Amino acid sequence: MKSIIKIAWRNLLRYTRRTLLTASLIAVGVAMVIVFGGVGNSFKSEVIGILTNSNLGDIQIHKKGYVGSIDNLPLDISIPEKGLKKIESLLDNNPEIKAYSPRIRFGAMASNYVQTTGMRFTAVYPEKESKTCPSLVERIKEGNSNPESFVSPGSIVIPLNISTGMNLKLGDNIVLVATNKDGSVNGMTFKISGISENILGPQGKDGYIHIDDAKSLLRIENGEITEIAIKLNNFNKLSSIYAGLKNELKNIQGETTAKPMFEIHTWEELSPFASISKIVTLLIMVVRLVLISIVLISILNVMMMSVYERIGEIGTIASIGTLPSKILALFLTEGLSLGFFSAIAGSIIGIIIILFINLVKLKFKFGMMEISLAPQIPTAEVFFALVIVVIISALASLQPAFKASKMEPVEALRHV
Amino acid sequence: MELVVLDNVKKSYVTGEVLTPALKGISISIESGKFVSFVGPSGSGKTTLLNLIGCLDKPTEGKVLVANTEISQMDRKTSAKFRGDNIGFIFQNFNLIPILTVYENVEYPLIMVQNVPTEKRKQRINDLLEKVGMIDQQNKYPAQLSGGQKQRVAVARALVTEPKLVLADEPTANLDHATAYKVIGLMHEMKKKFDTTFIFATHDQKIVGEAEILYTLEDGLITQKQENKKPGEVSK
Ligand SMILES: Nc1ncnc2c1ncn2[C@@H]1O[C@H](COP(=O)(O)OP(=O)(O)O)[C@@H](O)[C@H]1O
Ligand SMILES: [Mg+2]
Repeated sequence: MKSIIKIAWRNLLRYTRRTLLTASLIAVGVAMVIVFGGVGNSFKSEVIGILTNSNLGDIQIHKKGYVGSIDNLPLDISIPEKGLKKIESLLDNNPEIKAYSPRIRFGAMASNYVQTTGMRFTAVYPEKESKTCPSLVERIKEGNSNPESFVSPGSIVIPLNISTGMNLKLGDNIVLVATNKDGSVNGMTFKISGISENILGPQGKDGYIHIDDAKSLLRIENGEITEIAIKLNNFNKLSSIYAGLKNELKNIQGETTAKPMFEIHTWEELSPFASISKIVTLLIMVVRLVLISIVLISILNVMMMSVYERIGEIGTIASIGTLPSKILALFLTEGLSLGFFSAIAGSIIGIIIILFINLVKLKFKFGMMEISLAPQIPTAEVFFALVIVVIISALASLQPAFKASKMEPVEALRHV
Repeated sequence: MELVVLDNVKKSYVTGEVLTPALKGISISIESGKFVSFVGPSGSGKTTLLNLIGCLDKPTEGKVLVANTEISQMDRKTSAKFRGDNIGFIFQNFNLIPILTVYENVEYPLIMVQNVPTEKRKQRINDLLEKVGMIDQQNKYPAQLSGGQKQRVAVARALVTEPKLVLADEPTANLDHATAYKVIGLMHEMKKKFDTTFIFATHDQKIVGEAEILYTLEDGLITQKQENKKPGEVSK
């Protein structure tokens, strides 16, 4: 075995330039897979983290039909108090649920007595909301960002673009005028207690008030709300917990209609980023496929050339009694070594690039989000690249190696 | 003892529609420990004959027995093993492996064909390199050697497995006369030292005198068998 490796190596080094060229091609491919995988996944989890932790939660429950018209933030498709109680007891008894936050979401006109603009509001219990979306308060850049009390009755958090656009400062008053579900209009004055970064939404004009204020503004007498956002203990269990909850919710049915009253969605179904995230995943797959084809084509090419150039030599070693299986092993080892060591080199390059990205803390803006990439060394990606390159190298060398081992010594010798 | 026996051996090549009879019925037997030569013009069938004896090819008709083994029954693997165990080869173009040093070229059959333990291996290689006069050049690569030197290494490689039979097809065709005589002389010397049977083919009339037994081939048939009582005399 030692001598087979030695001979394979010497044969690779014999065509230095060709070997180096092929090796660098494979190494670049492997490095690309690792960097792309690392950065792509880091980007995804960063954005998903921002979305779920500051705004969406991991899962949301609404009255059936709500998400279908979510752009209008309808108040008449709401979760009644009784239903809320049932859902709450369901969530309280589920050990996988870390926190949940009942919300009333509505649209309103906001006025500073001079200008008026349409805004979207989420009315919350601050302590529940902070547990469900822990990074929300991090986005409050000015004013009260206490997770227990960032909104209290009478106060409002507005986003930066409203603050600058309408020239509103902390402590200023703002009037909200909203139409309740019966169609009558009501207004209330609020004091600005916090200014937040723009939250990703249709226009980024999303503000927060206390849920009790929303009830007075919208004249909601009973305890109905429009949505419940849920945070899980373990994000990775999302799909199974989602499925479990969905099943349990089916059993809560309307009194008159025997149909499920509520609907449940994961963040993916609620955020347009989910499709971007899927595209990133797809791109990672494409890069992997490109790597596979690079390895396949280049190893196949090099090994076919090697076999062709060495027909005479194959004839010699076959004549003097080298078994066909050994000849096969020689060429397989050659292709495998080329693939394997190129992949090792590529992994090292890839890991260095990732460490470098970590060091310079690559930051960029994605929509309204400030993304700071901190890719982990993608162990799975490195492992994948190594394994796939070795497998593909073996496959690609197989045909040329077989050809070499099947040569008739007499015919091969005539080639000299 | 008879090492090689051919009984009415015929061999034809088929290329497309054309049938070329290369050997037209050859019956000879070669005793062990002899220095044998096939002479004849180009195209007379020498290579074809050596390939059959060397277990590299199979006859169209007739029997070829080498060391009491019928070669036409063997599959690829068996014949490869048989060659590795019993036959050494010396080629017209030397056919050393360019990526291996002189030492490693001689070592190759002991590692990749037979499986000789390290100590014994070293001893045999050094002994042979000493005998063929290449011990000083053992770390050189084939590209750094002259033709004569390459063929000396090839002789060492053919003998290192201690074969019963060494076959050499036109071993001197690519060497100048002086070197050719030296290589043939070396082969003769090795034959005596190791008591190995040597069979070589050549169309060079001048070196045939070195052989003990001389077969002349013409057009696929053996036309003459000569025995030379004092081989080596002719050339000197
Ligand atoms: N592989 C082959 N295919 C077809 N004809 C061949 C082949 N090898 C040899 N021959 C023919 O067989 C005859 C004998 O060839 P060969 O044994 O090579 O003779 P020599 O070695 O004496 O020159 C020649 O006519 C040659 O053309
Ligand atoms: Mg010939």
